[in-house]
Amino acid sequence: MIWHIAKKDFLLNLISARFIVGTVLCLLIIPFTILINLDDYGTRLDEYHIKTVEAKNQLEQTRVYSGLRPVIIRPPNPLSLFSNGIDGNVGTRVKVDFGNIPALPEGKASQRDNPFLNSFMSIDFIGIISILISLLALIFSYDVFTREREDGTMKLSLSKGISRPAFMSGKILGIILTLMPILLLCYLLSIIIILVSGHTSFAPDQWVNLVFLFVFSILYMLVFILAGAFISSMVKQSSTSIIISLLCWIWFVFLTPALAKNFAESLITIEKQDNINYSLIEINREFWDNLHNEVSPRIEKELGMYDRDRSYWHASGGQDGFFETSGTARDVMEYERRMKAETEPIRIDDADKKWIIVKNRLDDLYRQKRLQKNLLMLSPTGMFEMIASSLCQNDEKALDEFMEDVREYRETLIRHFETNEWFSDLRYITAQPEDEIASTNEEKNRIAATGQVPDSWSNQNNPVLDLEGVPMFSHASTRLLPVLLHQSLLFIILLLVICSVLTILIAWSFNKYDVR
Amino acid sequence: MLQAIDLSKRYEDGVLALDALNIEIKEGEIFCLLGANGAGKTTTINLFLDFIQPSNGQVLINGIDASKKPLEAKKHVSYVSENVMLYGNFTARQNIDYFARLGGKTNLTKEDYYMHMREVGLQEIAFEKKLKTFSKGMRQKVGLTIAMIKDAPNILLDEPTSGLDPKAASELMQILQQLKEQGKSILMCTHDIFRAKSIADKVGIMKEGRLVMVRNRKEFLDDDLEKIYMDYMQEMVSAG
Repeated sequence: MIWHIAKKDFLLNLISARFIVGTVLCLLIIPFTILINLDDYGTRLDEYHIKTVEAKNQLEQTRVYSGLRPVIIRPPNPLSLFSNGIDGNVGTRVKVDFGNIPALPEGKASQRDNPFLNSFMSIDFIGIISILISLLALIFSYDVFTREREDGTMKLSLSKGISRPAFMSGKILGIILTLMPILLLCYLLSIIIILVSGHTSFAPDQWVNLVFLFVFSILYMLVFILAGAFISSMVKQSSTSIIISLLCWIWFVFLTPALAKNFAESLITIEKQDNINYSLIEINREFWDNLHNEVSPRIEKELGMYDRDRSYWHASGGQDGFFETSGTARDVMEYERRMKAETEPIRIDDADKKWIIVKNRLDDLYRQKRLQKNLLMLSPTGMFEMIASSLCQNDEKALDEFMEDVREYRETLIRHFETNEWFSDLRYITAQPEDEIASTNEEKNRIAATGQVPDSWSNQNNPVLDLEGVPMFSHASTRLLPVLLHQSLLFIILLLVICSVLTILIAWSFNKYDVR
Repeated sequence: MLQAIDLSKRYEDGVLALDALNIEIKEGEIFCLLGANGAGKTTTINLFLDFIQPSNGQVLINGIDASKKPLEAKKHVSYVSENVMLYGNFTARQNIDYFARLGGKTNLTKEDYYMHMREVGLQEIAFEKKLKTFSKGMRQKVGLTIAMIKDAPNILLDEPTSGLDPKAASELMQILQQLKEQGKSILMCTHDIFRAKSIADKVGIMKEGRLVMVRNRKEFLDDDLEKIYMDYMQEMVSAG
């Protein structure tokens, strides 16, 4: 009997104007959205390839250990074609620097805003689905009972000896059957466009994630169908029902997520990036003061270099500890080697001090995000977007895991340097063959005066590092589905609870519904 | 058999819509309830169909209490409403098929539906036409087909001739006569005293929720039913 009512509603809905309009809207908006996202994904993929090649080339051209500062590029996730998540808010490039523990990738990340907070107005597949499907669900369900009452068909149906729960179930099943093809069409259309475009393909685990995304889309759709049906069971007129339904839709789809972001930003204040930068500069200043006022004079004294000329033939360096020289006299090189051997561990210790400051701010950003997530429990749309973002691995957890991997890799690299005593190795500062290094400054000047300096006196003529055995960063495999589901478990349970509560409420309300 | 025993209904707003109604409609009997708007006729039908709960008394359909075992009771009753709206985008046959299946008739063929539609006088050309193109009389016939297909021993009709032209109303009366001859118990609520007089075995006049007069066919043919009814109506107008 339930199936019979559902079939009738399905057939009637199929020839209704709202079904045709809904389908046409999906056919227009979904390909448009996917094409925009494909274009964006293509750009990000190209950028990733270019930056990765640049980083690889740069690493392969490194001649000294102090220049061994790998750059890691975060690849775009093919599932970001469905949900942008926070990917659009953060950069993709992380430099493994011994003087700093990286908190977030460099790039687009704003210095002042919290990149973890989603705006919920991004044009992506999930954003469109969350707006379109919820609207269609309400449009099909707002008059599920009122229309039958107004048309007098409810009296006739119930006079046939069918129970109210069966009638109610049939009507709701009818709407589900009507909307399922639209939802399926949206997914199939998107997947076909993506695959035909040739920009990317999906790994088996990503296909599984997509299936789950579809399942949760059904759950999300069900929430709005049940909400519309509940409203319909509470009022007598369809006109009243549509007004209440639309108000609920605006509240849950637009206002609650927007308010969640604003509340999170206002309730938890974040230390200004300028203040953080000031503190970091202070630590750097102390480092350089220590280097110039204590370490350098002491080493100069130990090496007896106070009164000696300390000129360099070819040298280059940077704030990150990189220093490379060639053609410079051995005693000066020894001074530099000693300097690095002593200051690099200090630089690493300072990075830990800086990390405490940076991490405090990072923790605040995560606290804001957690608060936003808690507030989003008030909106099915917010919950759905959180689940989607987790399944598409574009949420703050995915980013945090990536950054954690990068930080772990940095530790591994430091340990490798320490184990192999590279900080105190002459190769830390020069790639010049030892037998071609002038023993003293005088000898260097004498050779220079002949005008026939060896090629090795120029940095770029010296051999590059053999990177074999140097730990390399490898992108961790994507999180497994059970992990992803576990991370969204609260939202999933909440959506299920909302569905159950709404079903009970409809059953209660429709049981005393005045069919006259 | 349809029975109302001391049946009363007081709505939540305090209005007493039905006051201790007692009627009994036997097999092969047509009972017409006459009365002005608000007299309690539709309330009586709604109580038989368990759309509302009685404040007092019992509604029995073939001896089954409709408020205690509504699903069981409704198996034995068919209903034709005042405005048979049905589903405008379905054809007459699709509408009949849907409601027939709801009523538990799942093994009927297209030909069975056509046969029943012919019986109520619906033109063949209308069988597969969408109901939204139908006149009220045609829709009423479809509604009657739905009621007939259920083949329940009792039939409730709420203002079935309202808005019908004389020819359509006359055809409807003929069909009801046939149903009566088949042994159905029929309760028809109507304003249409002339149709009631032509077909009813018993007539009851309702006024402000009370059944103020019941006459069997012989009695109301001997008496001047129109006059009695108009007198009651006049009393109402005067009281009002």
